[in-house]
Order: sequence, then C-alpha cells, then structure tokens
Amino acid sequence: MSLLDIADLTIGIPRGRATPLVIVENASLRLQPGEMLGLIGESGSGKTMLCRSLIGTLRRRGAAILSGRITLAGTDLAHTDEHAWRDIRGRRVGYVPQSALAGPNPVMTIAAQLREAILQGTPGTDVPARARELLDLVQIRRPERVLDQYPHQLSGGMRQRVMIACAIAGTPELLVADEPTTGLDVTVQAGIMQLLRDIRARLGTAIILVSHDLALVDDVCDRILVMHAGACVESVPANAAPRHPYTIALNRSRIELAEPGAPLLTIAGQPPSVGDWPPGCRFAARCSIAQPDCGLGPHPPLRGEAHANACLHPERAA
Amino acid sequence: MIAPLLSARGVAMRFGRVAAVRDATLSIAPGESIGIVGESGSGKSTLARILAGLQPPSQGEVLFRGQPVYAGSIAYPGPLRRQVQMVFQDPYGSLNPRMTALAAVAEACRFHERCSAAEANIRSLDLLARMGIGPDDARKKPRLLSGGQRQRASVARALSASPALLIADEPTSAIDQSAQAQLLNLFHGLLGQGLSIILISHDLAVIRYLARRVHVMRDGEIVETGDTADVFDHPQHPYTQALIASIPGRRPKENRP
Ligand SMILES: Nc1ncnc2c1ncn2[C@@H]1O[C@H](COP(=O)(O)OP(=O)(O)OP(=O)(O)O)[C@@H](O)[C@H]1O
Ligand SMILES: Nc1ncnc2c1ncn2[C@@H]1O[C@H](COP(=O)(O)OP(=O)(O)O)[C@@H](O)[C@H]1O
Ligand code: SF4
Ligand SMILES: [Mg+2]
Ligand SMILES: [Mg+2]
Repeated sequence: MSLLDIADLTIGIPRGRATPLVIVENASLRLQPGEMLGLIGESGSGKTMLCRSLIGTLRRRGAAILSGRITLAGTDLAHTDEHAWRDIRGRRVGYVPQSALAGPNPVMTIAAQLREAILQGTPGTDVPARARELLDLVQIRRPERVLDQYPHQLSGGMRQRVMIACAIAGTPELLVADEPTTGLDVTVQAGIMQLLRDIRARLGTAIILVSHDLALVDDVCDRILVMHAGACVESVPANAAPRHPYTIALNRSRIELAEPGAPLLTIAGQPPSVGDWPPGCRFAARCSIAQPDCGLGPHPPLRGEAHANACLHPERAA
Repeated sequence: MIAPLLSARGVAMRFGRVAAVRDATLSIAPGESIGIVGESGSGKSTLARILAGLQPPSQGEVLFRGQPVYAGSIAYPGPLRRQVQMVFQDPYGSLNPRMTALAAVAEACRFHERCSAAEANIRSLDLLARMGIGPDDARKKPRLLSGGQRQRASVARALSASPALLIADEPTSAIDQSAQAQLLNLFHGLLGQGLSIILISHDLAVIRYLARRVHVMRDGEIVETGDTADVFDHPQHPYTQALIASIPGRRPKENRP
C-alpha cells in the first residue's frame, strides 16, 4: 500500500466571488514507505505549493486546496482542520523549508529550537537527551557546543543539519525537504544528501526532495516527479531515460554533461505564468515537436504506472 | 606572450584577525576566461572585489593594462573605470526594485555613454534583447522577472559600459538549471566577441564549462591553478578532489534499496 496518495489535487488562491487563481492543477503522486522522490521543475512551477499542502500551511500563503485528495496512510490530509494538523505536522510529516538562510529562528538558540520541535514531535520525552540524540543523527559532532549557539553562529551546512534534526524530531513517516541545499556549496550539498539517505536507511522515512537540479535528484532519489507550470508532466525512475519533451530538454541542458565550450542546449523562453496558462499542454509554446492537438482541451494528465508521462505524442519525443 | 589585461601579484586582505585572501597571484589575458572556485568563506568574493577596484587590498598590487589599479585615492582612474564591470550572485542587490529592467539599463547607459534618454532606451532595449529579454519583459520591475531574467538584466546593465572585463561572482548560484544554461551560453557568446570573464563559483561544473584556466581557493589561499581540463581530470590538491567528487551526476550510486 502507498504511504502517500495524492490524486487530482488542485491548489489555488481563492478570490472572493471571482474564480480562484489556480497554481497547481490535477497533481497526482504516490509514494511508497521509505521511497525517496525528487520533485523538480523551474522556479514558479508549484513545487513549494505542493509541499505546503502536505504540511497544512497553504493558508499562510493565501492558498487552499480547491479539489482532489491527499491520503497519508489512511489519513485524509485534504480536509484537515488546523487543530488536527497539529497532530500531523512534525509527527507524521516533517518539513525542511526552502533556503538555508531563511531557516531557523534567529533569536532562539539551537537548544531552544530543538526543544520546540521535540515538544511538538514527541511530547513527554526527555528533551535534553533527545536533543543530543537528534544532533547525533544529523551527524553534528560536539553537540554540547552547538546547543548554546544561535543560528548565525553556524555555517549554512550546519544550520541545515539543525533544520533537518528539527524536522525528524517526531520520527515522521514522511519528510519533505524543499530545496534544502540551494545556495550552499557543492561539498556541503553532497554531505546533506548523504545525510538524507542515511536517515531514510536508518529510520525508513519516505522523503520528498525538492530541487531544480535534475542531476542532483537523479543521483540521490529513486524516482523523479517533474512539474511544469503547475502540472505534473512526468514521473520517471532515477537513471531511466526521460520521455517527456520538457524533461528531455532539461536533461540536455545539464552542464556537467556538456562539452566545455560547446553551446548548451537550452529550453526556449519561459514557462507561462500562473493565471496565464494556455489551453492544452502548457509546454507547447516551448516544445519542438508540438502538434496542433497539443493546444486543445485540458492539460494532458500523467498516464502510465512505473514511468508515467503526460505528453500526447511520446512516440515523437527523442 | 600577450600582455595580460589584468594581473594581481601577492594580493592579501586582512579583516582584523581574519586573513580573507593570502598572497594571491593571477592574471587574465584579453578575451580569456578564468575561473575561481572554492567553498563559502574561502575568499572568492573578497578577491573579486579587489580585482574589480571595489576594495583596496592590504598588500600586493593589481595592474590593469599595465597600470596600477589602486594608485592614489580612487581605484581604476578615469577611462579605465568602466572597462571592468561586476555582476553579483543576487541580482536583487544590484537592480533597483522600483525601476524596470529597461530603466535600470538605460540609466547605466546614460551614465557611461553620456547619450540622450531616447538613445539610451534604444541601446538598452537592444542590449536586453541580446540577453534574451524582450521589450515586454524589459518594462517589468525586478520582482516580476524570474531569477534568470533578473540575472540577465544585470548582465545587460554591466555590458552597457562596454567593458573589457566582466567579473561575475556566483552568477548562477541562485537561478534554476535552465536559466543557468541560458546565462552560460550568453557568457560564451560574449567571450566569442572578445570580452574577458572572471567567473567565480563554488560549482566546478560551471567553471569547467566556461573557464579555460581555474584557480582553486581554500581559506584565502589559491591552492591549485591550471588548465581547467587538467585540473578536472587530474586534481592534485585533496580539496580539489573533494570538490570534483561533489558534483552531482559524478557521484557513485550507493544506498539504493
Ligand atoms: N498568494 C499568491 N498569489 C498569487 N500567486 C501566487 C501566490 N503564492 C504563490 N503564487 C504563485 O504560484 C506559483 C508557484 O509558487 P511556488 O512557490 O510553489 O513555486 P516553486 O516551484 O516552489 O518555485 P521556486 O523554485 O522559485 O521555489 C508561482 O508562480 C507563484 O508566483
Ligand atoms: N568586510 C568584511 N569584514 C570582515 N570580514 C570579512 C569581510 N568580508 C569578508 N570577510 C571574511 O573574509 C572571509 C572570505 O570571505 P569572502 O571573500 O566573502 O568568501 P567567499 O566569497 O569565498 O564566500 C570570510 O571569513 C569572511 O567572513
Ligand atoms: S503534449 Fe504536445 S506540446 Fe506537450 S510536450 Fe507533448 S508534444 Fe510537446
Ligand atoms: Mg519553492
Ligand atoms: Mg562570495
């Protein structure tokens, strides 16, 4: 059975009597216990909004679930009120927010941050002991020293390890990490990725790792869900050849595969903005194999099981 | 040998007890691209600011076209000033949030070229178009542009001075993969037109793609220097080896269930 089952999820901004502004449309996704999924897409494609729906914080960005289902091991997350979220957030779903810089509360010591996370995640535990255990889990050496420090006294990588410690304080079944290493050094990034894999191996946590770096998620995850302009366009096993024209193009624009000096293959233009989506496939204006029927009707849904693709003309893509 | 465009010899920078840069020596020829790679805090930005004339070093000398950059009270005296331009990691910092991209570039154009407002507009629209920003997007304020567009707008602004040398400090760190590819292509085209580029990054894959030579910095020191391809294939310093091993897509795949 799946741990997480998202079906036809539409997220948007309600606008009084006007029709809501749709930000994520008909997203579908299934996650097995202990699976590590990479969620990628250009800036603005809706990755953070999808993540927020899993921890019940859409409202803080003025957004709401407009339709669809989210089920976490039998629990309905799509119709959960704030009171019920308090039992889920931190206990069943942990969250590492986007940006290492915006991370922790600047005026609280690490000990205080961890204490808050522990009280939320596993009320009634011995806080100091659990705090040391968590710092040990995220491989912070000399935890006694770190506990009394403030976030600004730590390096970006250490701060992010603390954020991960807070997120797993309640031993959640699902950990959502929204671009946990964007802006950090590649060596630090490699360490954090190894840490996420260790956590998955030791605690059996399923992980959703948001990134805009295809090479990174291809390396670390079991499967990759690709978003473009609010739609899921492909769900591809790591290391498998992509089949959707957008993913194919993204894959070709990877610099570490490029010959130095040879022009990089890029995707023309920008994705259409929220509120400005054309009918049909939203990649059509940038797609080299678009056909007349691509611009008709609703956005094509993901089709297929192990390797799902939303392109209407997969046989033409190469 | 071609005379270098810019050279630095024995440059050091201390901030109190912190030695941000120690004894750095490097040079760049006209039309050449060099990379500076290193982790956060290794001194890359400090060195870049020294080379750009924004920060007098505590020791050492910087020469641009054979003339000292820091002589007397102002760096890059007279006509040399505009020949070196810098772009930063966070284009928010360098673009005025209340000005459209077009207005920002036109302002720089008028400053450097002393041309009329109408001329500056035409020149700026052309520069922005070359950076892949059409007339509609050119009239947007920074917050309505994507990160990649903002970054290309700030490159357009830097280019309005018709510089000989562009120093780019982590220009791709804050933008997504496809925007990164667009920006690197653009830099590549500029190199083809004779511009020299100093590219600073913590990502060796970016450096490998664009820079012919690379300097690896650690704790304020240049620990390895060489042709990028050589350094990439045969890294000597353990730190360089660690950097290369950290590039996604080059890591071994273990720990899979
Ligand atoms: N309150 C709001 N009103 C209008 N549009 C919004 C609102 N909140 C978010 N959006 C838009 O929804 C889209 C998706 O936002 P989201 O933060 O999920 O993107 P993302 O994929 O996480 O991007 P990034 O990679 O930049 O983090 C964006 O175009 C954003 O501008
Ligand atoms: N204005 C300053 N005052 C004090 N210390 C500084 C200043 N600028 C940089 N430093 C210190 O110098 C070192 C190198 O910094 P920087 O050049 O910004 O590194 P990088 O760009 O490689 O991340 C760091 O330890 C940083 O804290
Ligand atoms: S559906 Fe059509 S436009 Fe969309 S990716 Fe496939 S071929 Fe291209
Ligand atoms: Mg986001
Ligand atoms: Mg820097």
